[in-house]
Amino acid sequence: MNTTARIVLLVIALVVLAPAAGMLILAMPAFGHPLSQYGDVVNALAPRLRNISNMVAAVNFDIRGIDTLGEECMLLAAVTGTVMLLRGHRGEDMSERAGRVPGRKQPSRSDATVLLCRFIATVLFLFGIYMVLHGTVTPGGGFQGGVIVASSFVLLYLGESYRAWRRIVLGPALAALEGTGALAYVLAAALPLLGGYAALQNVLPLGTWKDLFSGGLMVAVNYAVGCAVIGSFGVLLLEFMEETRAPENDPVPDEEDE
Amino acid sequence: MSILAWCVAAWLFGIGVYGIVTSRHYVHLIGCLAVCQSATYVLLLGIGFRWHAGPPIFYDHPPGTPAVDPVVQALVLTDIVVSAAMTALLLAIALQVHKRRGTLDPQHLRPFRQEK
Repeated sequence: MNTTARIVLLVIALVVLAPAAGMLILAMPAFGHPLSQYGDVVNALAPRLRNISNMVAAVNFDIRGIDTLGEECMLLAAVTGTVMLLRGHRGEDMSERAGRVPGRKQPSRSDATVLLCRFIATVLFLFGIYMVLHGTVTPGGGFQGGVIVASSFVLLYLGESYRAWRRIVLGPALAALEGTGALAYVLAAALPLLGGYAALQNVLPLGTWKDLFSGGLMVAVNYAVGCAVIGSFGVLLLEFMEETRAPENDPVPDEEDE
Repeated sequence: MSILAWCVAAWLFGIGVYGIVTSRHYVHLIGCLAVCQSATYVLLLGIGFRWHAGPPIFYDHPPGTPAVDPVVQALVLTDIVVSAAMTALLLAIALQVHKRRGTLDPQHLRPFRQEK
């Protein structure tokens, strides 16, 4: 199908769907006046029942904690699938050498880049850890903080060479972190079952409101999610970087041409 | 004003779909898909918004003060995680396609044709 045909199809679809979308927009509830009572109930009850100040974390890790367990497993499955696709025929073989296109000049890094990257990567790493640790108290949490920590790895690659980057960011450690985080979440959900409680029931002491360790089981689940997200995104970065290797080291398999 | 947020969501989704339809490169197409998905963030956050309400974090202001809906914010968080994981998966597929076929132009990729 060429581009003209596609655009014609799009216009036809638009003509059919635009009135429906317009009616839907006009039928939506008034902006700024939410209809759902769920959020208000959470806002009213969770600070009292769980001694927690971050309501988003309360929804994610306690009230709808089982949903987040599903999300965590989805992340694990997606990362596993991506890693398998990226590895392809390469297997678990890794190289310390960055891929390079023959004949292309490689300008060396300026000192300013190295200095800035070292500085910002350190601050970003610490900020990510801070985000994870304070997930139940202030805005943030395992998912957000984990992604911030993983982005500091990219800055390390930018500032150091590929070889140094590979020495600092250890693949097996990241994989272990990812697996441990996901396993810890599953255990946090399953262990209360042994004691006769509901899954993910908040059986740990709740701590005091606005304290770093407030929220009981939520603290553990938050840390588990943080570990899993750091591991997941770190592994993803590592595998994508490995894909930049020169093509001759990873030949296209022959079965495709049969 | 009251329908502006919904219009923005519809517009974001629309330009994302337009980008997908006219895309000449799979990486561009994956970016357009992310634009489509960002329409859902606007929609969800718009649904949970409340006038003259603070964030659903009761640290500086005590519990009981008006706050926006935390449930949709948690949903947006889930949405972003799904989007990031899906983008990574699609990019990995795009890399493999480029390795095997040497192109990422949807026009030149005919998945159902027998390779000769």
